[in-house]
Amino acid sequence: MFRQVAQRVAGLGRSIIWSNSAGRQITAAQTKLYSSQAEETDEQFDARWEAYFNKPDIDDWELRRGLNELHGHDLVPEPKIVIAALKACRRLNDSAMAVRLLEALKDKAGSHKNIYPYILQEIRPTLDELGLSTPEELGLDKPDPSKC
Amino acid sequence: MAANLLRVSGRRVASILPRREVSFGYVDRLDYPAPPVRFVEESALSDESKALREKEKGDWSSLSLEEKKALYRLSFDKSFSEMNVPSGEWKYIIGGTCVGLAFAFLIYGFQKQFISPPLPPSMTKEWQEAQLKYNIAIRNNPVTGISSQWDYEKNDWKK
Repeated sequence: MFRQVAQRVAGLGRSIIWSNSAGRQITAAQTKLYSSQAEETDEQFDARWEAYFNKPDIDDWELRRGLNELHGHDLVPEPKIVIAALKACRRLNDSAMAVRLLEALKDKAGSHKNIYPYILQEIRPTLDELGLSTPEELGLDKPDPSKC
Repeated sequence: MAANLLRVSGRRVASILPRREVSFGYVDRLDYPAPPVRFVEESALSDESKALREKEKGDWSSLSLEEKKALYRLSFDKSFSEMNVPSGEWKYIIGGTCVGLAFAFLIYGFQKQFISPPLPPSMTKEWQEAQLKYNIAIRNNPVTGISSQWDYEKNDWKK
């Protein structure tokens, strides 16, 4: 009697242990343990930021926060994001921020000298539409001695 | 009570300080392109600047290059190119390091000259030569050391 019960319990315990460890092995193989969120693809990233700047009633703080955060990423934003940000500056009547944003892009591209001209070429229609000038046209790419 | 007192004294200090032209919290930083406030404080704007701000609300194509630049300077102090100008700080750093080194050598020389006791006699040349001869004579360290290099038949260093 007692032996039967002991065998039952031992078998039950073994099955629990085995099923648990087997289950853990499967989960370990299937999912990454370091993050519960799926990784964002580049397209999703671009779409997210474009939508952020396209928000119709974006306010001054949101624009600045967005630009600063985007500047902190290890990338230069796509022209479509830049266009959305420029239009956000237009809605907020902040032409200075639009110029600043272009300057920041140029600085962000660093030694990759082909990125900035490419972005300028892509956003040229928007610049013309908004009546914006590039930092080069404003002479801001040359340091002003009185400011240094 | 204490909070009240603090508030009053804060107000008093604020009234003593000259009126700010530059907004509190404005910074020029390469990694922070959009500081939270505009460079020139709203209350310090001249009538001209205020008119320019009004004009900015209209079509930007109607702004001249000078006006656009003026608007930029109202919002920001230094442009990125001005922030990127080398500061020349390395000259101060190298100069300061040399001054520090010179001062350290001065202290060292002074100490050696006037403070430290004379070196012990075992540091003299005669003493060290005698010591070398003694070591050779007692065949000190014959496998890898000094005596292994001495030719005892010719009484000279091994060539």
